[in-house]
Amino acid sequence: MLRRSLLVTLTAALALLLPSYARGEKIKVGFPIILSGGGALFGEPAMKGAQMYVEEINAAGGVLGRPIELIVRDTKGNADEAVRVARELILKDNVDFLVGTVTSAEGPAVSVVAKENKIVFIAPIPKTDQLTAPEKLHPYVFRVAANTTVEGRSAAEVVAKWNVKQIATIGPDYAYGQDVTRAFVSWIKKLKPGVEIVDQEWPKLGEADYTPFINAMMGKKPDAVFSCLWGGFFVTFAKQAKPLGLFEAVKLNVIAVGEAGSPETAKTMGSDYPFGIWGNSYDAFYWHPSPAHRDYAERLSKYLKDPYPSSWAIQGYTGMQFLVEAIKKAGSTDSEKVAKALLGLTIDTPIGRQTLREKDHQADRGQLYGKMTLDPAIGFAVMKPPTYIDPSRFMD
Amino acid sequence: MPDLSFLLAQSLSGLTAAMFLFLIASGLSLIFGVLRVLNFAHGSFYMLGAYLAFQFVLWGGMGPGRFWWAVLGAALTIAIVGGLVERLLLRHLYGKDELYQLLFTYGLVLIASDAAKKAWGTQQLSLSRPPGLTGSSRVFGTMLPHYNLFILLLGPTIALGLWLLLNRTRAGRVIRAAALDREMLGALGVNVSWLYTGVFMLGSFLGGLGGALVTPVRAIVPGMDVEIIVEAFIVVVIGGLGSFWGTFLGAVIYGQVLAFGILIVPAFSIFSVFALMAVVLIVRPWGLLGQPLGT
Repeated sequence: MLRRSLLVTLTAALALLLPSYARGEKIKVGFPIILSGGGALFGEPAMKGAQMYVEEINAAGGVLGRPIELIVRDTKGNADEAVRVARELILKDNVDFLVGTVTSAEGPAVSVVAKENKIVFIAPIPKTDQLTAPEKLHPYVFRVAANTTVEGRSAAEVVAKWNVKQIATIGPDYAYGQDVTRAFVSWIKKLKPGVEIVDQEWPKLGEADYTPFINAMMGKKPDAVFSCLWGGFFVTFAKQAKPLGLFEAVKLNVIAVGEAGSPETAKTMGSDYPFGIWGNSYDAFYWHPSPAHRDYAERLSKYLKDPYPSSWAIQGYTGMQFLVEAIKKAGSTDSEKVAKALLGLTIDTPIGRQTLREKDHQADRGQLYGKMTLDPAIGFAVMKPPTYIDPSRFMD
Repeated sequence: MPDLSFLLAQSLSGLTAAMFLFLIASGLSLIFGVLRVLNFAHGSFYMLGAYLAFQFVLWGGMGPGRFWWAVLGAALTIAIVGGLVERLLLRHLYGKDELYQLLFTYGLVLIASDAAKKAWGTQQLSLSRPPGLTGSSRVFGTMLPHYNLFILLLGPTIALGLWLLLNRTRAGRVIRAAALDREMLGALGVNVSWLYTGVFMLGSFLGGLGGALVTPVRAIVPGMDVEIIVEAFIVVVIGGLGSFWGTFLGAVIYGQVLAFGILIVPAFSIFSVFALMAVVLIVRPWGLLGQPLGT
């Protein structure tokens, strides 16, 4: 008996010794994300970014004096599985909020679950316009990722400054690829009416051999190329296109969105990267817009034990940051109140000021664009210089 | 109307895609032909072959010749892994319902993908072309990368080598006999059990070799296992499961239909291939050069 009370005392003393560590009932946040298969490339670092933010917040006393608990579940990149784990998180784990999903199939599917259960859902990565389109929008869904309209139009803003007339496009044949290509094509035609789309290639998502597509594209003699092949698909495409002479044939007038300019992709490819083309990215460790960002990049580098920390972590980070700031503003963890607090909420993130627009629950999130140039010091391509394209002036 | 040189180049690009597919699908077809096991994990062997080649290059460096040792090392390692899988696990399922074999090999897919994630993480990886094959030559007015040329030559060479092995050697005769009548072969004094292991190792070797050889032209990513197995299945379904030349023909047709299909209906790149597979399944359910089961 004595021993047990001693144990209790010791535990209590220990708890008191952790000075600012938050006490009180945990705020549970469900984090359904891809951790297996091709999409894990984005899911894993986004999860790490969210985890880092949660650890920092908890160490600083939590929110409303309560610590946050992140409950991560693998969606396996499958919309049905994402719906299943989202339901499980709500019903079994009793999470208060959902932050997560990666693909344009998962996002809208989980959004429906959030609507049914009246639980705030913040999507950090899915880009499809469908997620926040007027007919799909509901009070509980929000997005901190750039959407396909923003990404396509940003790319068009870049290409409009080039002296090109005949553009070819290549993109994976599913919602994201089609949506972002359509946004790019319609915007470039608006900015530069003389431009002609001479060819459109639609390899299936997951295509491993782009040679026939590249050859078919070169047969149409474009003078510029728009690509939205992401992750490993861009790597494969570029490795196959380079010796076929595609990049030279269009004089490096290539814009590769889908984060083909991310440090991760550049590092993977090393000297095989098609230097001189334009790429985009959510973030870059070598981008220094502010002391806050420099500080964030250093913390992330330590947290991930990587001198070139991920550009995807910021998406999980800002997703959680918006949620926490909204909880603070609402002074409550009630989804109804937090959802209201998120409307039009402006916060200072490591990449600068971000606002969740009241009209469509979409963050005014732009991306970095730049010409990919070899940095001999680190042995891979960086954007020189990285330019953040603020989309607010061309968002609908 | 596109000019002739363009059509030739397009055909050549389809052929390159076909040779990679043949390398991978031939192992799948061989294992099915002899063991009557549809090895769903063949794509995983392909993926692990790629990761291992990457790992060996990482350890050994990219000096002259190193890449080829890495490729060989990766393929041999996969052959050994395949041998262990057959010897220790798969053999207990022979004679059982095919569903068990399918579930077992599918289980292997999940294990392999998790193991690869643990060992190499989720970020895409990439290798450069090996020294000596980095350039390109102008053929028919378009560029033909030397590595593609190498694959174009390697595909038929391996096909011929396998054909000679199966048709001109004693081992090949025994393997073919095992495909026809396993019991009779056992009664004649051949150790069928080890023969199966050998064939499974050879099939796995081909899968691992295919994976190792694609590393200079493809990214190494989680999920590449499932992507390739679907394509390999289409190839063997078109050509005929278990038929050696059928697999070759299936791969060539796949490549050509893809290359010219995208010129005709660019919006549906994979449509033409699936349409072809559907037609083959209706007209010749056992594939172009395959034989109906049970005859």
